[in-house]
Amino acid sequence: MNEVIARPRTEVPLIRIIRRAVVAYAALASISLKSALAYVTANWLEFGLQFLWMAAFVYFWRAVYAGRPTIAGLELHQTLDYIILSTTFMPLVERFLIVEFGWMLREGQLAIELLRPVDFQINIYLGQLTGLLSSLLQKVPLLLFAWFFFGLRLPSNPLIWLAFAVSLLLGHAIMFCFGWTFACLAFYTTETWGLYKLQVGLARLTSGAMVPLTMMPGWLQTVCQSLPFAQVIFVPIALLTGITPLSQTPQVWAVQVLWLIGLLGFSRLIFHLAIRKVTIQGG
Amino acid sequence: MWRYLKLFYWFTLLHLKTSLEYRADFFLGVFSLFCIEGSAVTVVWVIMRQISNLNGWNFNEVLLIQGLVFMAFALSAIFTNNLWSIGNGYIRTGGFDRLLLRPIDPLFHLVVDRFEKNNIGNLLAGAVLVGISSSALGIAWTPFKLFYLGLSVLTGATIFTGTYLITAVTAFWIINSHPLTFVVFKNVEFVKYPIDIYPSVIRSMLTWVIPYAFVSFYPASYILGRDSGLMAWMGVVVAAVLLFIGRRLWFIGLRRYASTGS
Repeated sequence: MNEVIARPRTEVPLIRIIRRAVVAYAALASISLKSALAYVTANWLEFGLQFLWMAAFVYFWRAVYAGRPTIAGLELHQTLDYIILSTTFMPLVERFLIVEFGWMLREGQLAIELLRPVDFQINIYLGQLTGLLSSLLQKVPLLLFAWFFFGLRLPSNPLIWLAFAVSLLLGHAIMFCFGWTFACLAFYTTETWGLYKLQVGLARLTSGAMVPLTMMPGWLQTVCQSLPFAQVIFVPIALLTGITPLSQTPQVWAVQVLWLIGLLGFSRLIFHLAIRKVTIQGG
Repeated sequence: MWRYLKLFYWFTLLHLKTSLEYRADFFLGVFSLFCIEGSAVTVVWVIMRQISNLNGWNFNEVLLIQGLVFMAFALSAIFTNNLWSIGNGYIRTGGFDRLLLRPIDPLFHLVVDRFEKNNIGNLLAGAVLVGISSSALGIAWTPFKLFYLGLSVLTGATIFTGTYLITAVTAFWIINSHPLTFVVFKNVEFVKYPIDIYPSVIRSMLTWVIPYAFVSFYPASYILGRDSGLMAWMGVVVAAVLLFIGRRLWFIGLRRYASTGS
């Protein structure tokens, strides 16, 4: 009798732990997906804003190209495709954890998050990942508009899409780890608004969201490539628009994986050190 | 009028004192907005170094346009940004009743309730841009031109404030007016470049519907000695009309206000 009962108990735990983890993380992920889609007005508003922003950029770039066949080796349609996509994806580099960390710290929510029986970083990452997926869904109408009004051209080769998708996911994870490390500053400063804005300013310039990095002078390109922001905007979109040829995909992925490994380790180390500084002031 | 000027002085002084209480926070905020504008200007530089001119405007002329936008926007934001939050911050919470109880004009009270200190960074960035570009362009700042510059920054700020006010009033009907204010304001992206690069529909819209072209394009044209005719002075009228419409709408909305009931 004892053996019969004992055997399942020794085998099941691992499966049970995995299953429990999957159920828990899936539930957490679905909450943030639902809350992102709940605010319909806010979504339409963002659509309107992005469309205005995109329109301003498209006309600007048309004027820039007036009478010039190529600029820094890029033709007008290539640059326009790139700019339409980069302005669409720009919000990806403008959501930063530091504001969330600052809020959690002030409200005392951080203590509750740390008490949950799931890994804090994985939990937040899943929230961000579903945020990425839901915001990608919301971009579809915007890209249709861009196709209709501004002649956006997207590649038909599924391999290019695959290269883009993997690169975007890797870039998103890289930005997550960077944002995580940066957000740990909130544990020391408690003030976050200025730091957040500083990060946005840096991201706008060096991610390639407003101008293809290949148009920049060499020294500025070096600066941009040594910062992580370009990994989530310029690198994937350059693959999608053909600025980076498909044949270079393996190298691009490899560089991104290196970034990710480095920043992941670093972010966990920094969090481990910084969390000791935290004093929850109630809530 | 004199009384309100005095009140305005006291409110501003109070806000400044509170800001300087948290000095590191204050300077970091100012510095970070300065950096954001710096990165925007770097992008313009990256693009303009590839081409000699943008539809006949050179790099420094575009900088002058951007400087005017930053200055006017920052000035309106420092003093009147609270118009953005009337819906969520006052009407929805019932806090608007507090303003109605005071023995001063509730619109005035709403406006002076906040002082957007960080935008001092934007104001500085704008002034630096105007300074750099005008010296590169060899613009001689005669007293008259300086007066015109001051007038256009003030006019531009009033135009921004006018559009905030008109959209903020909708809060009396729809409660959350913030998104509407934001969408209207976002048209500022267009006037950061000379508006003659846009099709005529957008140009007319920026002149007569959401008249942000009077913030940058027309004053810059005049300062640069380009022929802009009456439009160089039209901004003052436009700003006054916007404020007048906003004020009338404000009274209509105020009559409709019925508090939260909580």
